[in-house]
Amino acid sequence: MNKIISIAKKELGGLFKSPIAYIILVLTISIFNIFFFMLIDENREANLRDIFKVMEFLFIFIIPILTMKIFSEEKSTGTIEFLMTTPTTNTAIVLGKYLGSLIFVSVIIGMTTIYYFIIEYFGQPDRIEIFMGYIGIWLEVAFFVSVGMLTSSWTRNQILAAISSYVILFLLYFSINFVKYFEGPVESFIQYLSTMSHLENLGIGLITIGDLVYYLSGIVIFLVLTRLSIENRLRS
Amino acid sequence: MVIAKNVTKYFGGFLALKDVSFEINKGEIVGFLGQNGAGKTTLMRILTSYLSATSGKITIGGKDISKDSLAVRKKIGYLPETPPLYPSMKVRDYLKFSAELKDVPSKYQSKQIDKVLQECNITDIRDKTIRVLSKGYRQRVGIAQSIINDPDLLILDEPTNGLDPIQILQVRKLIKNLRYERTVILSTHILSEIEQIAQRVLILRAGKIIVDETLESLLNSNPSLKNKSIGSGLLQEKSELGFKNDDKGFALTLEEVFIRLHLQGSEERDE
Repeated sequence: MNKIISIAKKELGGLFKSPIAYIILVLTISIFNIFFFMLIDENREANLRDIFKVMEFLFIFIIPILTMKIFSEEKSTGTIEFLMTTPTTNTAIVLGKYLGSLIFVSVIIGMTTIYYFIIEYFGQPDRIEIFMGYIGIWLEVAFFVSVGMLTSSWTRNQILAAISSYVILFLLYFSINFVKYFEGPVESFIQYLSTMSHLENLGIGLITIGDLVYYLSGIVIFLVLTRLSIENRLRS
Repeated sequence: MVIAKNVTKYFGGFLALKDVSFEINKGEIVGFLGQNGAGKTTLMRILTSYLSATSGKITIGGKDISKDSLAVRKKIGYLPETPPLYPSMKVRDYLKFSAELKDVPSKYQSKQIDKVLQECNITDIRDKTIRVLSKGYRQRVGIAQSIINDPDLLILDEPTNGLDPIQILQVRKLIKNLRYERTVILSTHILSEIEQIAQRVLILRAGKIIVDETLESLLNSNPSLKNKSIGSGLLQEKSELGFKNDDKGFALTLEEVFIRLHLQGSEERDE
């Protein structure tokens, strides 16, 4: 556990020492703020359903930029050789890096909680619904980070890693649009794969076992694949 | 300390190491010599568990590296060919991170960091960001990282590669000071490095060990090696660049000399 925390601290330190983290932070919050005020002004409703949808969509673009260097940079600079020759398990390396990135995106999400206080001040929002929405967006982002980590472990080229992440995330996000071309179990499967359908439930305060299983199993699967990827590609 | 038996490594269809076997005793200083692509780095990476061998067995300190990798890694200090540094970190923070990953107990970490800073003569740059350091300093920080856990076995992959002559002398001096009470394996291209540091030489060629001898017996069994060890062709080139012929950083590699002598010997026999 100590090593996971050490690696997470190093990841976070590395992020905050590079300008990209601050650019992402400022840019993301600025865009969220613009959409928040536009949506509140238009809908005149004390809820965050639409802003959650905007956040979900924008995170698809932001997360790959954040995660592309996690392993790619270690590979290109050779520091992966250092990490993997210390008495640290590959699981600890993957979890440490995951935790570091997750804390960073949690900070971004945490900063948007100001929206709740604003609508609470002006109206009477459904607190449970907003809480569930935040749980949903956090789970979704946690899932996206795990996808970004896997693609970053595939290559030493950060741009390639980011593009691979975009491909997977776009497929997951837009897969619901292909449902009409299929029937029966395939249709249900594609619907289940789409991130949009799961966040929709959480956005209206509805939490189901199916949604939780989707996010948690997705995170676990991508982290396990990342671990296998760093093992296999370096040992082949 | 290190026993390798019939170690073979394939990368896809490419044979990188073939039936490599050797033993290294505790406290021995061994130099791996060979041209680029000879298999030195692959062998070192297998010894550190970074890569796994396709077949064969390696034990370090009595433990099988394929079965007890974590325990073996605790006993090893490793400096890859390119020092594995995080440019945005400060030297001290990097060494602390290394100490944490290498299981140095937290109460001894600070003491151990001060010790290696002193040993590697980098105390004055401990609060500097790695990005701003010269290549020589970076190499020393890399070496400091490799000894932070006080390893029984120190593996250094071309520790003087790419350094200028003054930095080479500084790093060699540092390695000479580190060798006491440790088993050291280093790879190099340079004969004088082996002469100064190592007791034994393993020459690799195309993934095979072609020589495994103590430096003394190698020189005794090939008297002409002594005369030709500071070879002519390469030094001539170096002297054209303004370096003196007795500059030890620019000697012909031992492997080149050795192979040349063998070729000469076989040609003479043919005649």
